[in-house]
Order: sequence, then structure tokens, then C-alpha cells
Amino acid sequence: MADIPLSVRGLDKHFGGLAAVQNVDLDLRPGVTTALVGPNGAGKTTVFNLITGNIPADAGDVLLDGASVRGLQPYQIARRGVARSFQDLRLFGRMSVRDNVLAALEPAPWLWQPGGGGARRARAKAVETALERTGLTAQADARAMDLAYAERKFLSLARILATGARIWLLDEPASGLDPNSRARFVALVRQAVSEGVTICLIEHNLDIVTELADRIAFLDRGAKLAEGEPQEILGDPQLISIYFGEPR
Amino acid sequence: MIAYLTNLATLATIFGILAASLNLLIGYAGIFSIAHAVFFGLGAYAGAQLAMLLVPDLLLACLAGGLVAGALSLCLALPALRVRGEYFVAASLGLQMMAVTVFSEAHAFTGGHGGLVGIPLASLLGFDISAPPTFLVVCLVVLALVLVVIRVLMRGSFGRSLMAIRDSESAAEAFGKNVARLKTLAVVLGCAMAGVAGVLFAFYMAFVNVESFTLEQSILVMAMVIIGGTATLIGPLVGVLLLLLLPAGLSFLPFIPPTEIGSVQQLIYGLAMALLMIFRPAGLAGRSAGQR
Ligand SMILES: Nc1ncnc2c1ncn2[C@@H]1O[C@H](COP(=O)(O)OP(=O)(O)OP(=O)(O)O)[C@@H](O)[C@H]1O
Ligand SMILES: [Mg+2]
Repeated sequence: MADIPLSVRGLDKHFGGLAAVQNVDLDLRPGVTTALVGPNGAGKTTVFNLITGNIPADAGDVLLDGASVRGLQPYQIARRGVARSFQDLRLFGRMSVRDNVLAALEPAPWLWQPGGGGARRARAKAVETALERTGLTAQADARAMDLAYAERKFLSLARILATGARIWLLDEPASGLDPNSRARFVALVRQAVSEGVTICLIEHNLDIVTELADRIAFLDRGAKLAEGEPQEILGDPQLISIYFGEPR
Repeated sequence: MIAYLTNLATLATIFGILAASLNLLIGYAGIFSIAHAVFFGLGAYAGAQLAMLLVPDLLLACLAGGLVAGALSLCLALPALRVRGEYFVAASLGLQMMAVTVFSEAHAFTGGHGGLVGIPLASLLGFDISAPPTFLVVCLVVLALVLVVIRVLMRGSFGRSLMAIRDSESAAEAFGKNVARLKTLAVVLGCAMAGVAGVLFAFYMAFVNVESFTLEQSILVMAMVIIGGTATLIGPLVGVLLLLLLPAGLSFLPFIPPTEIGSVQQLIYGLAMALLMIFRPAGLAGRSAGQR
């Protein structure tokens, strides 16, 4: 169990009478990209919010390297190497692109960061590298809120990339991207995986899922209906009809 | 005339410190406090008490005022950690209203409605600094120090953390920011600086009472910050100059009867605020609405 970076056990979450997540198990393994797939409202984002501690689970547990994160604050879970993106991006809108990335590397809750000049230069270097890899170097001084749509999406990735987190939770990172940007996104994720990052992504575009995912977990009405290899899941006519919202 | 200008400049400098400290909360941390006059008042009372009971040393008084205001600002940090936006505005309004009552009733500490009278002349390390020009210079030095501290901190990781929280609290958390700690730190720092401004004010006026620490004062300071431009170094100073000089300037206009100056002022403030938020939402020193 300890060799599984992130493992979810029996997660439950109700919002009033709505069962948003029901008894979900999920293992994210190193070098394996998992896609969380399911119709709108299936509970995919809620699973991320439960993993990162944004909302407390009613039952179940999240294990990082086998150790429970129960009771930890979101910032503490983040510092254990879990980075996430948001469906609605949540960039630091009035800050520059560079500061958006830099801010993601400065967790010390004090008036300055420890480590002095050496650590500061290392952070600056990590920021420049992340901006280069996401193609944002030319926009480094622009305000995040002034970026074009695709650039904003890449900025949300640059923040994650720079942190060096070993687990990435990406919530619809490629939605609305043009084919060219989408190809860049796929290349970026592949490179991260080759560098040992464990990725879980929520994605509606099944082409991207096919391109990137090694495994698919299929969620519907809060429950995990199936999990397996992409061709297994995407070849199941029943799941596909649920996915495309055909009458049941 | 010189005396008049010195007086105006001293008040503007003290309000500059006050507005700059509120900008730390509003502009950088996104904490819309309308209770800032409370901490201005706490500093003023603490400094005045120290001067009257022990020694009228400005340095010690600033320390005491900053400490008292900073420590009691935890009353403001608590709601700031739990609620945002309009809910926090309402919570800070409640705090402001409570504080005015306490200030009017706690005779031992504040002198009640009558206030504290006969605050001794300010000294600094044994030197008398109470002469108006000297005191102005001292105030300017404090303002400069406050601005340097704010600039250094806000350009560093602390400022970035606060602005990240301001722009998206949940994303800041997701990147490892201890939001509660950082917000508390910002509140304590901003309110301690307001306390220091209060100490200067108390020494300068040689008399303080609750009238200077009311909701109107809090709103005036907030207007200074917003009109001048939040999250910029000079914005709050621009706001202070405008809102302090405006009444002074108006009183020179011959065609406005002195009894009407108050209402004319209110009209101009109101109009300026409304127009500004439409055309220059980031304030005079900020970017214009269409600027990229
Ligand atoms: N904080 C919340 N309070 C109440 N209900 C919520 C909350 N968050 C999510 N829900 C509800 O829980 C259900 C699952 O939502 P969730 O956002 O996890 O779905 P999703 O699979 O991410 O959908 P989408 O593909 O549209 O993003 C939805 O019915 C949603 O309305
Ligand atoms: Mg979602």
C-alpha cells in the first residue's frame, strides 16, 4: 500500500439529500495516468475536493503513501506533494503571470521565505522553466486576468508544474482548447508523466482521454461504476450510453 | 499661514500612515475592514495613557500603541478568517459600533465622552519634539518608515501570498498557503500601524476623545484608500491629500457659505466615489478601467 502515492478508500459525501460521492475507491499509481470520466454532476470535482481537503468527507479516507490525511487542512495536504487545478482556474487575477507561478512556490506563512538568496534564485529558476514549458515567457509581466483563454489554462498548469508536486489533480484542463493548444497540453502532460508525476485528470473529451489515460475510472451519480483500461471502459456500450446521457 | 500649512501637513501625514495601513488590509489582503478607526483609537488612548501615567516618550508610546492595537486586532482577525466579502464588512461594522460604545463608557482608559485631556508634550529620548515643525518632521519620518516596510513586505513573498489569497483563497490554499496565519499576520500588522498613527495623533492634538474614532472616520479612511488606489504605495497618500485638502480648499471658495461647506463636501465625495468606481475602479493611482 505504501508504494501507492495516493489512494482513496470508501469516500462518501452528501450535500443535503444529494449523494455527490458514494463509496468511491481509487488508487493512483506512479507513472500511471488515470482519467476520471462521467456525465455532468457525476461527482468528479467533488472527489478532487475531498482528496485535497477542500470539503470534509462524510466517510472514507485518503491515504498519501499509505498515511491518512484525515483532519489535515488543504494547505497541509498541498505541502505533501498534491497539486491541483480548478475547473474555473482560480488564477490570481490581479497578479502578474510570473507572480502567479512564484506565489505557488512560497508556502512559508511568515513575512519572508526561509533559505535566503540561494533558495530565492532556485524559485526564480523554477518559475522561468515552468513559464517556458507552458509557452508563457512572453506574457510573464501581463496580469493573469488579461490573458487569452488558452494562456490562462496554461498558466494554471504552470503553477502546478513549478511546484514540483508529485501528484497532479487536473480538473478539465483541456476543455475549450483549440487543437494546437490541445496538442501542446498533451505533450506537456506526457513529459510530466515521463518525469515520474502521478496524474489524475477529469476530462470530457474522450480523444484526450484516449491519448493520455492509462486507466479510466467511470463515475455516475457519485458512484464508481467501473474502472479499467481505456478500451475496456470506452468499449462498454452501457457506460457510453450513460456518458452521453441516453435515457435509462 | 505657515502654522496653518504645518497643521494641515501634520494631519495629512498622520492620515497617510493610517490610510497606508488600511491599504495593507483592503488592497493587499482583500480584507474590507470598516473598523480601522477603532485601532487608530486604541493606539491613541494607549499612547496618551502611557504619556500621562509614565513618560511622554514618543518611541515608547508608539510601541505601546502598536502593541495594544495589534493585540486587540485579533478581534478583527477572527471574523476575517471565517467570512469574506459583505459578511466580513458587516462583522467589522459590528466591531466598530461596539468599540465606540466601549470608548465612550470605559472612563478609566478613555476618559469616556469627555476624552483624555492634557496629554503632555511629546519627547523623544529626552528631547522635546513638540514644536509643530519638529513634530511634522517626526511624523514624516514615521510615514517614510511605514511606507518602506509596506513596500519591502508587499514586494516579497508575504505580499504575493496576501494578494494570492485576495484573488483566490481556495487556490492559495491549494498551493500550500496557511491562509489563517497569513491573514492574521496582515491584520495585526495593519492594525498595529494604525495604532502608531493614533499615538502621533494623540500627541499632536494633546487631547483625544471618541469623536475621532467613529464609523465616519473609518469610512473616511476607507474612502481615501479606495479613491487613491488600492494595492499601490502612493494611492492611499493621493487619497489622503485629496480628501483632506478638499475641505481646506473649499473653505477658500468665496461663493460657498461656510455653513454649507459640510454638505457641499459630502456631495463632492459621494460624486467622486461613484464616478471613480465607474471610470477608474482601481483608484486614481491604479490602472484605468480599459487599460491592459
Ligand atoms: N459545495 C457543494 N454544495 C452542494 N452541492 C454540491 C457542492 N459541490 C457539488 N455539489 C453537487 O454535487 C454534485 C456533483 O458535483 P461535481 O461538481 O462533483 O460534479 P462533476 O462530476 O465535477 O460535474 P461537471 O462535469 O459538471 O464538472 C452536483 O449535483 C453538484 O451540484
Ligand atoms: Mg466538475
